[in-house]
Amino acid sequence: MSRHPAPDELLLDYAAGALPDGPALAVALHVALDPQSQRTVDRLNAIGGALIEREPALDLDDSALEEVLARLDEVPVEPRRVAAARRNPAFAWAPAPLVPHLRPGMDWRRVMGKFDEIRLDLPGDFHRVSLLRLESGRGLPEHKHDGYEYTVVLQGGYTDDTGNYGVGDFAVGPGDHRHEPIADPGDPCIALIVVENPIVLTGPWGRWLNPLVSRGWI
Amino acid sequence: MLSADEAADLIEAIATRQDRAAFARLFQYFAPRVKAFIVRSGADPEAAQEVAQEALIMVWRKAASFDRTKASASTWLYTIARNKRIDHLRRNNRPAIDTDDWLTVFAPEEDGADKSVLAGQTYTRVKELLGGLSADQLVVIEKAFFEDKTHTAIAGELKLPLGTVKSRIRLALARLREALEKDES
Repeated sequence: MSRHPAPDELLLDYAAGALPDGPALAVALHVALDPQSQRTVDRLNAIGGALIEREPALDLDDSALEEVLARLDEVPVEPRRVAAARRNPAFAWAPAPLVPHLRPGMDWRRVMGKFDEIRLDLPGDFHRVSLLRLESGRGLPEHKHDGYEYTVVLQGGYTDDTGNYGVGDFAVGPGDHRHEPIADPGDPCIALIVVENPIVLTGPWGRWLNPLVSRGWI
Repeated sequence: MLSADEAADLIEAIATRQDRAAFARLFQYFAPRVKAFIVRSGADPEAAQEVAQEALIMVWRKAASFDRTKASASTWLYTIARNKRIDHLRRNNRPAIDTDDWLTVFAPEEDGADKSVLAGQTYTRVKELLGGLSADQLVVIEKAFFEDKTHTAIAGELKLPLGTVKSRIRLALARLREALEKDES
């Protein structure tokens, strides 16, 4: 059971299909790892089903069914999907919804000598979506955010002044709060981070590094 | 009228023997409702009809992955229609990855989630419970599902403080959880 589930209102946004791709991916990963949130989303989807069924039917054109039946010859009924077998062993920790985003050849890139990053490209979404990897005992530079930040832990864990976060835990931060997460002992901490705007470093080097961060260079 | 069991039987008939008559019945029941649902989000009737057709073709393609112990037919269909709506809204800015490939729908196979209550029964109960929500709560929930708006956008539109909208959502869900858990215990 997750100690830090995503809030109900965000699960509703997700189930309603209203989230941009970046935040939707963060919630999808949390839901894949957290049975309780999965249950909430299943129930929300059931509400969606009930609302659709309550809709007064709006007739389609007379030919609509014929058109579709004619197309079915070219549409095979797909066999039941089995768990992704073609999974890359380097990304064994990745929950299913992340797998299609991990393209061959993607690899960790060291940033500021402190942590590793893989930047994910979600076309059509302005959010910055990254996987971060932090060795045990190492911290991210102290920073704050201009806008929302969503974090979901995929391996290991981290601790900051708001608590301890393990696999599947979800953190949503409105940005003005400064924090300095430190990876817990054990396996390196791997998390997906989705931010609305570039982070703002608040440590001593911040004023030199922030212009580079805001240009997306680091 | 199509009961949850009948609808599930029809989807299984597609999965096991590519039953076109079963498909046609599902289409006649669900396509007009999906069309109405898509029109609610602001699409014109012609585009909504296209989305409804695409959604029902997806029902055909994915029939074998439908699991009546996990979701009712309407719930499953809702998730398909929602994903098609997302793809439709982004047509000009097409994502590289098909929405269905990552916007997870239901608990994975290995999940030990409680199956003591059949999805069909849960669904029937959710339908009843929906009628018991306060008008204030229902407005927020309907706007989210029909108009494809985040709770932040809903707060802005209704000129309500964000905290009020959040607490309406949390209260509505708490009610739902409480009632369903009482049934299951």
